[in-house]
Formats: sequence, C-alpha cells, structure tokens
Amino acid sequence: MQYPPDMRVIRTMCAGRIDPFMIMEAFVRGADGVFTAGCLPGECHYTGGNFQADLRVKVLRKVLENAGLSSDRLVFRWMSSAEGAKFVSYVTEFIGKIKELGPLGQAEGTRDGRLQVKLLAAKNAVEGRKLRWVLGKQTQFETEGNVYGEVFTPHELERMYAEIVMDECAIQEILLLLKEETLSVPEVAEKVGISPPRALRHLANMRKMGMVALDKVEGRTPRWKAVEA
Amino acid sequence: MEEGLRIGVFVCHCGTNIAGFLDAAAVAQYAATLPDVVFTKENLYSCSETGTREIKEAIKEQRLNRVVLAACTPRTHEPTFRAACREAGVNPYYFEFVNIREQCSWVHMKQREEATEKAKELVRMGVARARLLEPRDVIVADVNPTALVVGAGISGLRCANALGSSGFKVTVVEREDEPGGMLRRLYKLAPEGVDARSVVDRAVNDVKANPNVELLTSAMLKEARGYIGNYDVVISADGSDVKRNVGVIVLATGAEALAPQQGQFGYDGKRVITQLELEGRLRDGSLAVADVVMIQCVGARCEERPYCSRICCMSAIKNALLIRQMRPESRVSILYRDLQCYGVEREEYLRKAKEMGVRFVSYSPDSPPQVGGCSVRVYHQLFGREVELPADLVVLSTPLVPRHDAEVLSKMLKVPLDEEKFFLEAHVKLRPVDFATDGIFVCGTAHFPADTGESISQALGAASRASIPLRNLKVSVEPITSCLVDEEACRGCGCCAYLCPYAAIEMVETDKGRKAHVIEVACKGCGVCASTCYRRALRMNHFTDEQYSALIAAALEREEGSSG
Repeated sequence: MQYPPDMRVIRTMCAGRIDPFMIMEAFVRGADGVFTAGCLPGECHYTGGNFQADLRVKVLRKVLENAGLSSDRLVFRWMSSAEGAKFVSYVTEFIGKIKELGPLGQAEGTRDGRLQVKLLAAKNAVEGRKLRWVLGKQTQFETEGNVYGEVFTPHELERMYAEIVMDECAIQEILLLLKEETLSVPEVAEKVGISPPRALRHLANMRKMGMVALDKVEGRTPRWKAVEA
Repeated sequence: MEEGLRIGVFVCHCGTNIAGFLDAAAVAQYAATLPDVVFTKENLYSCSETGTREIKEAIKEQRLNRVVLAACTPRTHEPTFRAACREAGVNPYYFEFVNIREQCSWVHMKQREEATEKAKELVRMGVARARLLEPRDVIVADVNPTALVVGAGISGLRCANALGSSGFKVTVVEREDEPGGMLRRLYKLAPEGVDARSVVDRAVNDVKANPNVELLTSAMLKEARGYIGNYDVVISADGSDVKRNVGVIVLATGAEALAPQQGQFGYDGKRVITQLELEGRLRDGSLAVADVVMIQCVGARCEERPYCSRICCMSAIKNALLIRQMRPESRVSILYRDLQCYGVEREEYLRKAKEMGVRFVSYSPDSPPQVGGCSVRVYHQLFGREVELPADLVVLSTPLVPRHDAEVLSKMLKVPLDEEKFFLEAHVKLRPVDFATDGIFVCGTAHFPADTGESISQALGAASRASIPLRNLKVSVEPITSCLVDEEACRGCGCCAYLCPYAAIEMVETDKGRKAHVIEVACKGCGVCASTCYRRALRMNHFTDEQYSALIAAALEREEGSSG
C-alpha cells in the first residue's frame, strides 16, 4: 500500500480532539489542504468523538467557502483502523484533488493579498465564543433540544451556521483591518466585500462590545479604529 | 533546578524497514541542526535489548531531559520506551514517538528522496512537540472494596456469590419480589435435563447463606453517580431509598422473550403459544396434547431483528423430547431454518431427538409455515413439496430480546447499547465482560442471548474482572486527562459534561457559581471537552493546544529559498 508523500501527519487520540482552530491554523500557515479522519459511525473508540469531528468539519468547510476557498480543501473521512486500503485510497484521492486546485486560492481565483487576512479572520472566528458555543451545543440541540425543548432540524442548523459564519468572519476581518488603519464604513464594506449597511451593523455591534471605537469624523464621514485590547 | 532543554533524537533503522527506504543518517544529521537538540544517534533496532540500553546510556551520559524517537508506530513500543526513559531517570511523558515507518518508509518505498524529506519534517515536528511536553505522574484513586450487582437471575446470583466468597461486600438489587429471574419460569435445561428451578434455587440459597452478600428484592437502582472505586448509588426499595457506596457495578439484568404479535402465525396464547409458555405448561403438568408443531426463528433472523438468538433450537428440541417421553403416542415436529446444535453434547442431543422420533422439517423464510385450524402446512425444503402436519398445539420459538428498559440503565450509567439494544462490551474479544467505562461490568443475557452455562461463565468472568480493582484497593490511570485550567473563565455551560462519554466531568456549585469539575480517574483523555469549551477553560494534558500549534507550525515551516 503506497501513497504520495505530500502529506504530514498530526496524531490525535480521537478525532474529537481536533479543535477547529487547529484546522484553520494549518490553512493560515499555508497548508493547501487538510485531511481529517475518524472511526466509522458507531465505532468511535471514545464513543462519540468522531461525530463531533464531523460536525466541526462541516462548519469549517462553510468557513473556507466564506473566505473564498473551495471546501474541497478540507475533508473528514470515516474509516476503521483495520481499513488501511481505504486510507490509502482516500489520501491519494485527496492529494490529487489538492494538486488540481493548486496552492490556496489558485483555482478559486482568490489568491491575493486579501486571502491571508480572510484566513486569519476565519481562524479568530473559530476561536471565538459564539461559534464554539453553538458547535458545543449542536449535539444537544439536535437530540434533546434547547432549554425549551425545541429540537433543531438540520435545515435550521444549516441556516443558523450560514449566518453565524458570515457574521463572525466579517467581524474578525473588520477587526484585523481596523488594527492596521482607520477606515470609513464604505471602505470597510469594500475591503471585506459586504454591503455598507451590513458593515455598519457589524461596526455598531462591535462598538457595543468594546472592540472598535470612533476615531474621528472627516467632513461628514466617521472613521473607525480598533480599540487597544 | 532543571537545565535548559536537552533533547536527544534517536533514529531507528528498524533493520531495513526504515533504512532500506530512506536515508536514516541524513535524518539524524538534520535532527542535529534543530534548536535544543544536543544529541542524535541511529539505532539498528531501537526496541531490542541493545537499542533500549543505548538510549538509556545516552540519556545518562548526555544528560538528556527530552527524548524523541523516530521509528515505527507508538502502538508497538510506546510503553517500552516510556519505561526506558523512566528507568534512566526521565519522566516517561517527556518521550515523543515519531512514526517514520508505517507513515513514511513503508508507504513511500519507491520515493527515497521524498521519504527522507518527509522523515526530516516529521522529526522536526516531533522535536517541536517535545519542547512543550510536561512531566506527568500516574493518577491513583482509592477503591471501596464493595460491589453492586443489578439483577438476581442466575448470572447476578453467581456473580454476587463469587465476589462475596472472595471477601468483598456485595449488594444485589432485584426488581421482582423473588430472586431467580428467567430460570424460575423454565422447566428443564438441555442437554443435561436438570431442573431449572433447582439450579437457580441453589444459587439463591448460596447467596442468602453468604454473609458478605446483601440481597434486596422488590428493589430498583434509581441513581448512580461517581466513578470506579467510588460509586454512590441510590436504590429504591419498598418505597424508601437505600444508599450505598460501591467500588464496582455489575449489570446482570437479563433479557425478555419476544412476545409474538397477536395473530402472528395465529398466536393466541392458547393453541398457538411461545416456547416460554410451553415451559410453564410442562412445569405445571397442564400439557394435554398429542400433536405438537414447533416453528423456529419466529421474529428472529429477519430484517427487523437480524440476529440468531442461539438458544431456541436447543430449547425446542429439549421440549420436543420431553413431550415424546411423556406421551410416546404424540407426534412432534420442529420446523426449522437452520439448527444451532454446536459442539459435542448438543449434536448428540439432536441425534437422540431424531432417534426418539422428533420430526425435523426445514423451511425457507420465503415460504413460511401456514398455521391452520388443526394443522400446519409447510413447504418442506428437502422433500421439495408441501406437507401438512397435524397440530393440537403450535409452539413459536421467539428470540431473547433486550429488556424494554435497558435504555434507562444505559443512560444512568453512561454505558452503551449495540444496534439491537443489548449492552455493548468494551471489546468483543479482548474485554468481553467489561464496559468501556471503567468499573462497570456486564454478564448474562443482558449482554447477548446465552444459555445457562454461558451465563454462569460470564458471571464468573465479570466477578473475576470486577475483583481486580477491589482487591488492589487502588486504581491507577494514565495521566492523559482533562484539566480545568481557568476556573474564572468557566461559565458552567455544561457542554463539556454533556459531551463527555465517560461521565468524567460533573458540574458543581462553587462560591463562584456553577463550574466544571473533572473526575481525573474516570477521564480517558479523548479531548472532546477541551476542543469544545467555548471559553478555552479546559486543557487536555499531554495533548495541549500549544503542542498542536507547534506541530502545525513545524509541519508547514518553509526553509529559506524553498518554493512556497
């Protein structure tokens, strides 16, 4: 059983140990693809860690798409430790796919200076409380429901994550940009690639949270800055 | 006072397994260029007597305080090398194992250069992690040498008696008002022909006579909290709560016989009955019929329930023989799909049954028997035509199924059920009566459909397994556990406790509010809690976030001038 030598392996005792920040850190540091794997459903040696890994990777694939990267650059595969041939097959397939996509952003047409900022923002977003809390609660929301006993359907979860990923990544990206220079709302909107009303909404929330503040008003245009931590 | 880092890197040739496919010397030379690496060496076979001795000597001579070994997989020899480090005076958790065989030399056999480069990078990663390793000591907890056995059927009784006779105090909880379980409802046991009641009565008497065993009947396990060595259980008995603290718990809650659906094969509980109901009639002497047809695999080996219940063939043959012996003029037929009569005694029993005139008719699940008013029609597979068998009584052999309330216990003790809802053991071959959760064991038909002999074997096996921590009075646990490092940050959300598969995190009230508390001795180090915590308050010892960051950074480090 042979496979291409383009992959470096990082061992975790359970796929459930794979923290979302680890995957994003790999992309930030220049990995062109991240391959994750866990036990077959029902066979997790630690009972349910593989399910946690799967739901995290699903959300992280949205995060990648949001940053302008193909979600094919991140996969989670199920296999038994007895299925060596399967591992070889999946890994060979994945490496082939990544070679096809090329370095980060190449096939997607987003290989520019903004990509690194978006990736770093994405990493900060998955280290942030909101995304982590929802990921942590997902299993409970899907089975027993929230404190009111409301059980979430897959559709509701999809929609919720789509919103949270967009908002959290945008917020982190705005923060990174404002740490470099002061910006107006239209400038923020243009750099992040969102509409000005949305940018203003984020800035207003960020101001409430103490992340940003008004720097000065030039003519009739307010300029925003990041607050020193 | 510790000196600075002194990392030793050992690169194993593994004969030709590694050195035959990559340049081990180049890997060692590269390792020597890494910061904090003060010593490198190549071994022919690190795991050999010579190899481990060389490592230990190097540790002492070079005053190494971290050891990185690039060799095979930790699954083979991590304990060996951890022990070697310990013997040489280095904490075993300062040892890092890098796989350059299964994940490198063996899978890139025709790409020597690339494999060598990959091995170098893997070693760089291992060294990066080694810099961040911390010393750890094995965690030890006390064990209360007492046990709780749930269920007083033959398995529970035999298990309790064995534990009690070994000197441990045992509490047995039985929900019925009489102990004995399923055996009390059976007549005779095959192939020996012993009386079921006498077997179980002896077990009951042994338990009642055992001064170490306390038998609570009309009692149910209500609550169980804790971990191996220290379970606090609440039993509701006769309307009041009985509290006990025990070191281990054994589940022996048994199984139920599947009741056929009304009308299935004409089931009516009078003329068409189950094998279990037949046992009752045989025992109380109310069987007064001549022609009996038994149908095997009713509700088993089908889409809904794909398993074979293992014991029904022997039960049917046993009862068929009994009927033939009681009333020699009777005609008894067994309609079967396959016959489970393995081993010497059972095969002999089958032969005897055929000699004694029990008729065996094989049928296919595609053309099941048709139960009529006074006969059963069935397509005889071997004759190749339909036959009609006179039947005053039709007996359906249904499978043993898990108790309808198995899920209650499963949730209470956080022990898993398999697809069929029988209790799921830790490992089918290596740990057949243990649960993955330490300190809890299972035996008898609660685990899978078993006959009396098998149930007793399991019960004794569970008693043996359970007695290990009880006798040692201590359990020691590998110190790869979760740890609440930032109590301030913890907001008591409970996600960690909810997701923990081992009930190793509990939420406790403190004067700073609700906080997570890790029960170290129950923690198996899976890391789900630490990677979930939205406040980053939990840390996974020996597999920390910082170590993973270092591994990722080292993996993706770009050398000066290389293509990016």
